[in-house]
Amino acid sequence: MQNRSITRRGFVAGATALVAAPAIVRHARGADPFKLGLFYAASGPAALFGPTQKASAELAVEQINKSGGIMGRQIQLFLADAGGPPAESTKTAVRLMLNEKCDAFIGSHDSATREALVATIRARIPYIYTPIYEGGECAPNTYVLADTPDQQVRPSIELLTKEKGVKSVYLIGNDYVWPRKTNDRVKQYLTAGGGKVIGEEYVPLGAPNKFEEAVTRIKGAKPDAVVVTLVGADNVNFNRTFAGFGLDKDILRASMLLEENTLLGIGAENSKQLYNCMSYFSTVPGAAHDEFKAAYKAKFGEKAPQLSIIGVDCYAGVYCAKALVEKAKGTDASALMAASEGLEIRTATGPVTMRNRHPDKPMYLAECEATTFKIIKTFEGVKSGETCKQA
Amino acid sequence: MDALVVAQLLNVVYGIAILAVLALGLAIVFGFLGVLNIAHGELVMLGAYSAWVVQSAGLPFPVAVPLALLACGLLGWALEVGLIRPLYARPFDTLLATWGVSLLLRKSAEAVWGLGYKSLTVPVPGSADVFGASYPRYRLLLILACLACVGALAVWFLRSGTGTRIKAMVANSELAQAVGIRTDRLARNTFVAGCALAGLGGVMVAPLTPVHPFMGIDYILESFFVLVVGGLGSLTGLLAGAGIIGGFGSIVSAISDRTAGYTTVLIIAIVFLWLRPRGLLVRP
Repeated sequence: MQNRSITRRGFVAGATALVAAPAIVRHARGADPFKLGLFYAASGPAALFGPTQKASAELAVEQINKSGGIMGRQIQLFLADAGGPPAESTKTAVRLMLNEKCDAFIGSHDSATREALVATIRARIPYIYTPIYEGGECAPNTYVLADTPDQQVRPSIELLTKEKGVKSVYLIGNDYVWPRKTNDRVKQYLTAGGGKVIGEEYVPLGAPNKFEEAVTRIKGAKPDAVVVTLVGADNVNFNRTFAGFGLDKDILRASMLLEENTLLGIGAENSKQLYNCMSYFSTVPGAAHDEFKAAYKAKFGEKAPQLSIIGVDCYAGVYCAKALVEKAKGTDASALMAASEGLEIRTATGPVTMRNRHPDKPMYLAECEATTFKIIKTFEGVKSGETCKQA
Repeated sequence: MDALVVAQLLNVVYGIAILAVLALGLAIVFGFLGVLNIAHGELVMLGAYSAWVVQSAGLPFPVAVPLALLACGLLGWALEVGLIRPLYARPFDTLLATWGVSLLLRKSAEAVWGLGYKSLTVPVPGSADVFGASYPRYRLLLILACLACVGALAVWFLRSGTGTRIKAMVANSELAQAVGIRTDRLARNTFVAGCALAGLGGVMVAPLTPVHPFMGIDYILESFFVLVVGGLGSLTGLLAGAGIIGGFGSIVSAISDRTAGYTTVLIIAIVFLWLRPRGLLVRP
């Protein structure tokens, strides 16, 4: 009995440990890092934006960690390459969820990868999708910061029809979901403004495209304006050819995804009468943006990656994760979705408010001036037009 | 409407001409030496960057031509000595070897210049009036330059002693050596010339397209189609291939749209690979 019995000392020690255990365990969990997976374009066709995406996310993580992290937990950023085929990204997602036990994902990549990731994550952890897209993502526990066609198209088209007196429009874009959905909206607002579409063509995505024939066709059709939903090198190529043939003198152009890198490629001589409407340009005015730019420059110096909407969106993505988790006081899916309604999120240019898991945001209409964007009009609180039901 | 037809016809001529020059280097190297240089596109890219470097330095555009010829020629010489020499007449082995080179060149360009698109100003801006249609002057100039380049090369090849020696080397290498032709030197110079011509093509297209490390991939694909269709080993084959691929691609793109045009090009390439893999004008 003597060597096996529980001594009084042992009992007191055991009881104390039992009582103290939850406090100790809770403290340990509080010190656990908040694991954030960032899916960005480290390689592949959009690798141009990779450095900015990574830098913006790192800046946000540094700022948040300095002020205490997310609910006392320091953020640990896991970088995942989403530049390959969607199957590769899903494999990485599974590894990050099961092995690393990531708490949330941010994605800045194309829609095909987004759909694959949504199907893989299946609402187990929150997934924040950030770049421009075609609308319609309402999967549970998925939060979309991206510009929607409703937000982008209306200011551009109304500029064309109301201010510039445009009556006929030619549409040209790459052949996949985003340009087609965007063009649906374009036609809607165009008809409402009294204009009409006199031509519509799509070029294959990823093929070596030349635009001499298309430009000559446009020349023959004589529209008042061209709405361009081409992306990447095609966008550069088309605009250079367009101006090379001298069409930029008489025909306006409105592009839907034209950011700083693409404009640099297009070049100063080819960017006359070229308009765009997005939620971010590096020339957007305002104190919040100046503060962001100062912090960005302070962290990355003179060789900082070029600021552009695809890149800076990751900054808002990280802050979105923080806002969601802190308002929901945890990472439970239904709590997060409930918290997302009316949530204020910090972005590089100021706060936006989330409704239906898409934010209402200020949109900036810009005209290209050599190789920079001149903001000519600001629209506050533009609604996303998405009607995702709360799950 | 008439002016439009003229403009589209000029587009077709431009398409064929530029394709001929871009595929020229590959045609020479593949046709005469049996080397499938998949880094050909990257040599075009290097030529384009040479033009950008020249323009950024404030020098006149024509300086880019000797710079590109020199840079790509030197690179070609290094490749030949270091990699290609043991692999003549072994297309698949050279394909693998030059695939590695192309990856290296792309990443090197990325390391030096970054992934961003570089923009050049067109050296001869504005449009000229051609049979009632307004057509960009630079493209007109390119059409003439391409015709001059291919024409000069053809005349030189048919008339010169070196041209005859190359024909001898291609027909029967051992016999050529027996007759006293330095085939090793001839092969090296031919390879260098092919690489230099790729650089020249790059200089020509640089003001018209976005210059970035991955631009070469587009050109190698189309050059390959041209050779498949036209046949290897003769300049007429190159012109036939460029004519068919460039011509049909451009005509269908003009009538319908780019998707149909590119589909046509792919179908033609597939049909030729399947039914007539040695191309139209086969070397006897």
